[in-house]
Amino acid sequence: MTGSIVDQAAQVAPQALRSTLGAKLRKFLLIFAAAAAFVAMAIDLGIGPTSLWAGFGKLARFMRAMFPPSDGGEAPRIFLSLAETFAMAVAGTVIAAVAAVPLGVVSAKTVVRNSALHFALRRALDLFRGVPVLVWALILVAAFGLGPFGGVLALALADLPNLAKLYAEAMENCDEKPLDGLRAAGASPPIVLRYGLAPQVAPVMASQSLFYLEGNFRNAAVLGIVGAGGIGFELEERIRIFAFDEVAYIVLIYALCVAVLDTVSQHLRSRLA
Amino acid sequence: MTLAEPVAAFEAARRRMLRRRRLEALIGTLLVSALLAVSFQRSEFFGADIGGDPLGRIADFLARMTPDLQANALLEGPRTRGSLAWWYYDLPLWLRAGWQTVEMALISTIIGAAIAVFAGFVTARNLLPLPWLRFVMRRLLEFIRTLPDLIVALILVSAFGAGPLAGVITLSLSTFASLGKLFAEVNEEVDERPLEALEAGGAGLLRKFRYGVLPQVLPNYASYTLLRLEGNVAMAAAMGIVGAGGIGVELQRAITYTEFDTYLAILLLIVGMIVLIDISSEWLRHRLMGLGGPK
Repeated sequence: MTGSIVDQAAQVAPQALRSTLGAKLRKFLLIFAAAAAFVAMAIDLGIGPTSLWAGFGKLARFMRAMFPPSDGGEAPRIFLSLAETFAMAVAGTVIAAVAAVPLGVVSAKTVVRNSALHFALRRALDLFRGVPVLVWALILVAAFGLGPFGGVLALALADLPNLAKLYAEAMENCDEKPLDGLRAAGASPPIVLRYGLAPQVAPVMASQSLFYLEGNFRNAAVLGIVGAGGIGFELEERIRIFAFDEVAYIVLIYALCVAVLDTVSQHLRSRLA
Repeated sequence: MTLAEPVAAFEAARRRMLRRRRLEALIGTLLVSALLAVSFQRSEFFGADIGGDPLGRIADFLARMTPDLQANALLEGPRTRGSLAWWYYDLPLWLRAGWQTVEMALISTIIGAAIAVFAGFVTARNLLPLPWLRFVMRRLLEFIRTLPDLIVALILVSAFGAGPLAGVITLSLSTFASLGKLFAEVNEEVDERPLEALEAGGAGLLRKFRYGVLPQVLPNYASYTLLRLEGNVAMAAAMGIVGAGGIGVELQRAITYTEFDTYLAILLLIVGMIVLIDISSEWLRHRLMGLGGPK
């Protein structure tokens, strides 16, 4: 009797470890069907070894061109557009955070006790929660012209339904007793919101907004692709002309900024929560 | 006399505290408002020249997005102005592109999750006794997570050419990076006792993972992967804008021809697609967690 305990167990009680023929067959068919579906989808998308091989060859050349990274003599311009990206992220987050407060109040079950309005608003928010920021940006830039304006609006639009939902949940999860106390003392609804609800939910809401600021700094970096300014524009330009040493430089600086912002924001959020 | 002194001391302390708090609030407000002022100025939000009065522009934009539907011609064929079929004039092509987007999301979620299982195994502190490999993998995952997906897609499109392949590779990479981290966290929280029992029984590393870890973590893995799939559908829709295949290509085309009503049509299609995927994935997740459903 050599081998591990598992081997020994398999000999003593095979039915505990080995499944029956029928179960085995079913499992095999399921895996086979999944694999077949995977391959069929890959073929449908035109993903094959030849295109992969050719692409990776090119990619390897791009990677080699990335070293050493160089600023191309345009470091000031790059830093300015990084600042612009951050500014877009802040402006978009603030607009979304401010606009989401009334929406959140109305869609919180505990504050507005009108279930029809509540339901309609929630579903409307749900519908647009999935739309990616670039999809908003594409049409807003076409409507309002090149430049950060459309980008800021796109960031705000993409965050608005998410933040409104989070705010509403924060309000629904707060302690009811201070609100009841204020109502019992005869306070008007705005006073109840200001002194009963706001002190409880403001830190939570601030922390959620900071979290979205982190995300928006990432999102803002891609808006330049559709002409909404910021670092994405500089990156896109350089990718189009295959200036990969400058691309690598910008990406490295940008990654550093993301790390710094995340650290600062995480520190602030841990103090708030 | 005896009472006045502590009261006075208390009042003084309270005043000092209030003053300090006010000062802190003032500095905080000043800092935040300075940041805001600079941000709005740099992002040219208010100074932007968006062509005359902004409200008029927004109204004009909304009007251009609204399709010119006629109530009496709503169900006519695609040749009649104002019918639904006229608004969705290229529906078969869009559905085909939408399906391509879903395929991209499915394939890249599967590939990304498969590599992430390996990454999660390597990065979890309690499984593999190879600290250097863990360190390298962690930094790699972190670095990929800081790269914006669409920038990666842009580079890959210039390497692999326009088409779904670049999008699939991008999404696989970012799925791998985010799921790898989550899987590692799940792995680190497993109950150690089955592992110890297996070790005592002489099981090797792989058997320990297969019989000790996997049964505990599989439900969590599946739930995270399905959540990621929902996000990947939306991301795959955006990928087309940079030329990486799927429905986004049609969005880009609608904008180039300034067909704003077509844009709205495709946008609604995308929203519907995302909602459908969300609902089915939520149903699957709830069944996996044993909530609702039969049994």
